[in-house]
Amino acid sequence: MDRQVDVVVVGGGSTGCGVVRDLARRGLDTVLVEKGNLTHGTTGRMHGLLHSGGRYAVSDQKSAKECIEENMVLRDIAAHCVEETGGLFVKRPEDSEEYFQEKLEGCKACDIPVEVIDGEEARRREPYLARDVEKAIALPDGAVDPFRLCVSNAADAREHGARIETHAPVTDVLVEDGEVVGVEIEHETGPGKRVHHEPGTTEEIRARHVVNATGAWAGNVGGMAGVDVEVRPSKGVMTVMNTRQVDTVINRCRPKGDADIIVPHETACILGTTDEEVDDPEDYPEEDWEVDLMIETLSELVPALEDARTLRSFWGVRPLYEPPGTGTEDPTDITRDYFLLDHGDRDDLPGMTTIVGGKLTTYRMMAESISDHVCEALGYEATCDTADAPLPGSESEARMAELMDEFGLRSPVARRSGQRLGSRADDVLDEYDPNPIVCNCESVTRAEVQDAIGEAGSDLNAVRLRTRASMGNCQGGFCTHRIAAELAEEYPEPVVRDAEDELYQERWKGQRHALWGEQLSQAMLNHLLHATTMNRDGDPASLDGEVDFGAFDAGPESPDAADTDESGSAGTAAADGGRADDDAATDGGR
Amino acid sequence: MTRHTEDDDAGDANGANDRSGDREGGRENPGRGGCGCGEPAPGVPQAGRDEQPSVFVTDGGDVPEADVTDDRDAARTGGESTADRAATDGGVESASGGTESATGGTDSAELDPEAYDPVDVFPGGDLDLREGADSCYKCTSCDTSCPVAEVDDEFPGPKFQGPEQWRLKRKEDHDIDESITSCSNCMRCDDACPSSVPLSQMHNEARGQYVERQMEKLSVEYIRNRILANYRTSASLASMFPRTASFAMNFGPARWAMEKVMGIPKERDFPEFATETFREWWKARGGANVENSDKRVAYFHGCYSNYNTPEVGKALVSVYEHFGYEVMVPPQKCSGTPMFANGMLKDARRHAETNVENLVEAIGEGADVIASCTSCSLSLRQEYPELFDLHGIEDLAEHTFEALEYLRIHENLEGELDAAGGLDDERAFAYHAPCHARNQGLSRQAVETFRDVDGVRMEDVGDSCSGISGTYGWKEEKYEKSMEIGAEMFEHMEDAEGEVGMTECPTCAMQMEHGTGYEIEHPLQLLEEALDA
Ligand SMILES: Cc1cc2nc3c(=O)[nH]c(=O)nc-3n(C[C@H](O)[C@H](O)[C@H](O)COP(=O)(O)OP(=O)(O)OC[C@H]3O[C@@H](n4cnc5c(N)ncnc54)[C@H](O)[C@@H]3O)c2cc1C
Ligand code: SF4
Ligand code: SF4
Repeated sequence: MDRQVDVVVVGGGSTGCGVVRDLARRGLDTVLVEKGNLTHGTTGRMHGLLHSGGRYAVSDQKSAKECIEENMVLRDIAAHCVEETGGLFVKRPEDSEEYFQEKLEGCKACDIPVEVIDGEEARRREPYLARDVEKAIALPDGAVDPFRLCVSNAADAREHGARIETHAPVTDVLVEDGEVVGVEIEHETGPGKRVHHEPGTTEEIRARHVVNATGAWAGNVGGMAGVDVEVRPSKGVMTVMNTRQVDTVINRCRPKGDADIIVPHETACILGTTDEEVDDPEDYPEEDWEVDLMIETLSELVPALEDARTLRSFWGVRPLYEPPGTGTEDPTDITRDYFLLDHGDRDDLPGMTTIVGGKLTTYRMMAESISDHVCEALGYEATCDTADAPLPGSESEARMAELMDEFGLRSPVARRSGQRLGSRADDVLDEYDPNPIVCNCESVTRAEVQDAIGEAGSDLNAVRLRTRASMGNCQGGFCTHRIAAELAEEYPEPVVRDAEDELYQERWKGQRHALWGEQLSQAMLNHLLHATTMNRDGDPASLDGEVDFGAFDAGPESPDAADTDESGSAGTAAADGGRADDDAATDGGR
Repeated sequence: MTRHTEDDDAGDANGANDRSGDREGGRENPGRGGCGCGEPAPGVPQAGRDEQPSVFVTDGGDVPEADVTDDRDAARTGGESTADRAATDGGVESASGGTESATGGTDSAELDPEAYDPVDVFPGGDLDLREGADSCYKCTSCDTSCPVAEVDDEFPGPKFQGPEQWRLKRKEDHDIDESITSCSNCMRCDDACPSSVPLSQMHNEARGQYVERQMEKLSVEYIRNRILANYRTSASLASMFPRTASFAMNFGPARWAMEKVMGIPKERDFPEFATETFREWWKARGGANVENSDKRVAYFHGCYSNYNTPEVGKALVSVYEHFGYEVMVPPQKCSGTPMFANGMLKDARRHAETNVENLVEAIGEGADVIASCTSCSLSLRQEYPELFDLHGIEDLAEHTFEALEYLRIHENLEGELDAAGGLDDERAFAYHAPCHARNQGLSRQAVETFRDVDGVRMEDVGDSCSGISGTYGWKEEKYEKSMEIGAEMFEHMEDAEGEVGMTECPTCAMQMEHGTGYEIEHPLQLLEEALDA
């Protein structure tokens, strides 16, 4: 394993995926390593706003200009990841008129196309807006799916010869003779992880250059190389509603503050957010007041939120960075700009560059600038084409009507699969016939789940991110086992069970912050169903043992099987409450 | 354009030329426009979703009044202001005055954006029912109770059709899965849901949008469905020549042609038309025999008791007069049940305008509204307020009852029946509770009323669906499924002791008769007999 590659990119967030795509397309031999699945970090825990730049039009016009430029680029190259929802900055009576005007001027100065509409027109477009919203600025905000975006970038990189290694944390940065020469990674073992490399082994990847794109974790990886990277992680909460109360992005038009934005995302709406500095990007308190604040404050804009069903909440950490010595007190004042740290210039340690800060919206631009930098460092000449080359899946609109006919999908199902799969829809759907729906809430069919398994292996959370399966009303209560069953043909039983557990736990984690009203009932129903049918309430200490399937279904191994009617009750499950009298002896009342 | 009702069949409103015909003229009064948004008439209680602001109200609390005279203008400006919208909206269409609404014009959407209920306004004034998906726990009770899903493998069932399909919907897309046309609108799912998901409202609205936007308007299916939905129109024609019509419609070659050309199954017999309609009888009788300003009911007879089974209507009148009620028979059109089931919401709304207006007026005069058909009462009580925002519609819903239910609430039926001493000759009945009765909690009322009456033996044939569901069983492609659904009921009827069937619903009665050859009666007829009324 001593082969040397050109570049190792550490971190599979939007930044890392963008960089690896760019470098691979330029012809460099590149590896991406990520400790979790793609979007494991901040990218998987963000708001999904495709910024028009409006949010920064007053405070940070450089960022605003970058946003509007990249916003337009992504609509072109990543059509299947973007929903062109449009956005509004709305003003309530108590919000400052002066600021409204400043915002308007700011947008114009940054070339963001705007239109001022009165409250009546705003409500015509978004009927659930509060009656006392006075007016609004309409601009081209959008919604972006970070998972699909990263996966498409990685897929394109792979098509151009890159290697994508997930579930492989960097455990050390190799420094020789005052120069970074590669990284050491560990192939993880454990439940649900992609069975890919030999679990538990380590591997050294030697490279001519290392790009540290680990966002909020950049300090850790920097530390492995012995350099200081001062990232100030700042957490933010996002609360997911069950349905879309609005179909456009709604921003509150006021200087800065918590809980000022609602983004429609797929079937849901996401409320956000807060901004609080934390010490450790892995371990910080998730507090209830943050969730309450979202619902209370945003109800001022959309009163219906108050009584609407909340599915779950999640938190992300911003990788905010400021050059040493700036000393800003309030994290909301730290710039949203990105920084490229050349450790050769900065710390006398050539061979590594760190990129931190920025936004998902501008990921491609960041990737371009760091790729330019890396090429320069390597003395390599190539031009960047990522602003023009469409990402896989976005080349052409999915042919919705034909999909329905050809693959026998019902129309909302076809439409949603078409949106998720983009131009790959044909190939994916072609694989399965019949093609039943596996996740009802989000209308995800077997073909899509199998396609995702093909890409992500037995990691069902990665399957979830690709397909949205288990992300609806029931939060997996009615489908985790069905999704897991799709693994059964290829993977051994313990892998399948662990994968299911992991997905089920992940779904539960987010719901803990929505345990009132409808979602509380749902969670309880889910729990009891899983408890009665899958022993989910069993003593954890005794759950690890082998499952004695014979005890459940009176199969051929069961001692009673001999006198059981062969065709009839042989498949009766224990959970039937002892209905089948033949089985009474074997089900043992468990 | 906004959907203002052109009253193309105003002239044939029931009662246009009888005693109460002068009420018709009332609709021409200024301020009582057909759109139902005018000044309430004196004595008409104010209620209704149209008057209740359901969204955030400013601190001042004043909601601008909808300007009645200006609605057309408002609609026009609405259309204009949306025409030149920013290119930034991603092509999302907003509610504009220029598109038609499948709901039949929630006019207030165009009237005044300050006053409308957000539920009313997907583009074109369609209802946005995505919110209803919030209540769904995926428990699947609805699917389990759906009679169509049980026999039709192609039908995805109410959970998909209702909460799931709605949750997946986007403002700008109009595709509704075509399977919505396989739902018979029996509303059993609505009744089964433990969590009050508005399933039937979701189905009705989706079906309306589907028919409005996606169904080929000149297709035989559309025309056939429209004819079935507008049973009242055909029936009123047929009843001018009742004998010829009854014969001609069931005449072999004609039936063959109907199946081939129109998709109406030849196995079905068209119901017979009465030689004298209920309203003709009522008029000849000189109207009510009892006057009593303290006890008044307005009878919504619906189409079937008027044209086909006037004996049910007559039984109702004699029973109610027996208890000292003044019976009013206001002008009325179809309750809309068959129109909902076929997605013809525009038609239903047009008829609803007449019904609501006249019945609300009767309520203003102190009456409660009673119906002898359980689908009619369900429609007035539940589907009307769910789908339309006519003035007074909530009030009507609150004041509507099924006829037997009403007596059981207000009279000592048991005592009266006891005193009357029962029937002279013993009779046995096989009783089927219509799905729509179940939905109103009335599935046991007939059995409970008669079980202690001497000489009456009443057996409930179980809780299955009869399978006809109004117009469902009248479609050739659904005929076999309809009979498959009904099989359980037929079997139980055969098994029951009685050789006479009993039910409140006229189409269930057709199916019961069709499947068993039994004669079918309405509980009111038995009540009349038992009370010697
Ligand atoms: C609450 C919130 C809302 C936001 N909303 C928006 C928005 O609406 N629009 C927008 O444009 N931007 C938004 N952002 C900003 C945006 O999400 C981030 O700027 C962007 O996702 C950062 O991506 P990244 O790739 O730099 O970092 P990350 O996504 O964090 O990627 C870093 C990756 O490195 C991996 N890693 C860490 N350590 C190691 C290791 N030792 N070995 C291997 N891998 C490692 C991590 O697992 C992670 O996957 C939001 C941020 C937050 C916090
Ligand atoms: S209304 Fe009846 S037929 Fe339609 S989905 Fe509900 S239960 Fe099924
Ligand atoms: S019965 Fe109600 S809660 Fe249960 S699945 Fe059906 S709609 Fe959802």
